[in-house]
Amino acid sequence: MPQITYIEASGQSTTVNVPEGWSLMQGATANGVEGILGECGGSCACATCHCYVDEPWLAKLSAPTEGELEMLENTASERKANSRLACQIKATAALDGMVVHLPESQE
Amino acid sequence: MPMFRFDPYSPLVDADPFPAYKTLRDEHPCFWSEEAGMWILSRYHDIVAAGNDWQTYSSARGNLMTELPGRAGATLGTTDPPRHDRLRGLIQQAFMKRNIESMGDNIRDIARQAAAELKGRKQIEFISDFSSKFTVRVLFAVLGLPMGDEQTVRDKAVLMVQSDPKTRAKGPEHIAAYNWMQDYAAKVIAERRANPTGDMISQFSLAEIDGDKLDEREVLLTTTTLIMAGIESLGGFMSMFALNMVDFTDARRQCVANPALLADAMEESLRYNTSAQRFRRSLQRDVELHGQTMKAGDFVCLAYGAGNRDERQFADPDKYDITRKPRGHLGFGGGVHACLGMAIARLAVRVAFDEFHQVMPEYLRVQEKLDWMPSSTFRSPLKLELSIK
Repeated sequence: MPQITYIEASGQSTTVNVPEGWSLMQGATANGVEGILGECGGSCACATCHCYVDEPWLAKLSAPTEGELEMLENTASERKANSRLACQIKATAALDGMVVHLPESQE
Repeated sequence: MPMFRFDPYSPLVDADPFPAYKTLRDEHPCFWSEEAGMWILSRYHDIVAAGNDWQTYSSARGNLMTELPGRAGATLGTTDPPRHDRLRGLIQQAFMKRNIESMGDNIRDIARQAAAELKGRKQIEFISDFSSKFTVRVLFAVLGLPMGDEQTVRDKAVLMVQSDPKTRAKGPEHIAAYNWMQDYAAKVIAERRANPTGDMISQFSLAEIDGDKLDEREVLLTTTTLIMAGIESLGGFMSMFALNMVDFTDARRQCVANPALLADAMEESLRYNTSAQRFRRSLQRDVELHGQTMKAGDFVCLAYGAGNRDERQFADPDKYDITRKPRGHLGFGGGVHACLGMAIARLAVRVAFDEFHQVMPEYLRVQEKLDWMPSSTFRSPLKLELSIK
């Protein structure tokens, strides 16, 4: 299972084995990572699973869909060049070791 | 020892599915139910994984445990990606949290009015006296429908989701209610198209992105589903939430003292006893799971209500705890098919109980034993009588 590390705004770091095919949002909410809410259940209808993807991993992800880009306009914390929604990133073997930083606030 | 069975059509399962769910999770995590004619998945992890893997676990042959004729393939819940995602993109906008907050004042007025009608009463039947009036009025306001036939609309919506426990199928009365609702939806669509407003049906019946739009059957059955969900699903969950509030006195008193806690209490109720207990998928290929082989073409039940009580995911799962914050719960399903109306549902239930509690902060349950709706998919009581202190 790919290992994903979530680093909260407080600096608290949690590494989770996320099953392949699960989203990074599901990996976080199922394992008590506080900084991801996932209010809409993964249907890309809110922006409460906002995360910042560490540079080397960004290029490995497929480009965000129009729906994701639209939702990213409504993040509670600053949107940056490496902002993504964790519900739209599916864990794969290629993402093993990936690190994402979480914003100060999701709502 | 008698062989374990699981019959989602049994009145015993309507009344209390949780002991059977525990046996399913612990001893038969991939179980063939002869009565349902489908596999039952009951562990949180397996349900989430199946929900993610739409290529394998398809919705295109229906998502209700007992599907209604002609519905599969014609609603969001019964369509797979990528078409599903494009259609949902057309209509999702109207259901998003930021776009429904403007309805908050209107919903509060409806809740206040419905609660005011209860003033001075010593005993009420929560569903007919409060929640069904509230949900119908909210739906009619949201969709801009003319009042007058709301009681009939409500009765048909409740009937169409039920099934016959003896034949384990939809009975003629359920099909008739479904057909009535389709005719009603068709009239609403024609009216909205003739006089488009900013309402949801106008939006999605006219919406088009990159040449994609809903075809006529999709518009009709999506509208039918929306009315069913807006009345029956919202009302069903409200009665489950009321049941938790009356049974767990401390939790209710905390919510009455601090209505901000209603949001957390509602999430815990969605976990603890969501009204949307079971949905189904059909397999696109053979799958090996927990030593069983499920065959391509087999139906599979995702028992959300069982996953929500899985001790592998939620500590002390049979305890109702409003401080739990059960993120990732399956009360609205999840993934691409997660409930479209969840933001409206959250807003409406919170506001309804805030206003209800202003009029009735203390109440007791009258019936010791409840009668439950006969449904293989949904679970809620038919009546919930409350006496007012």
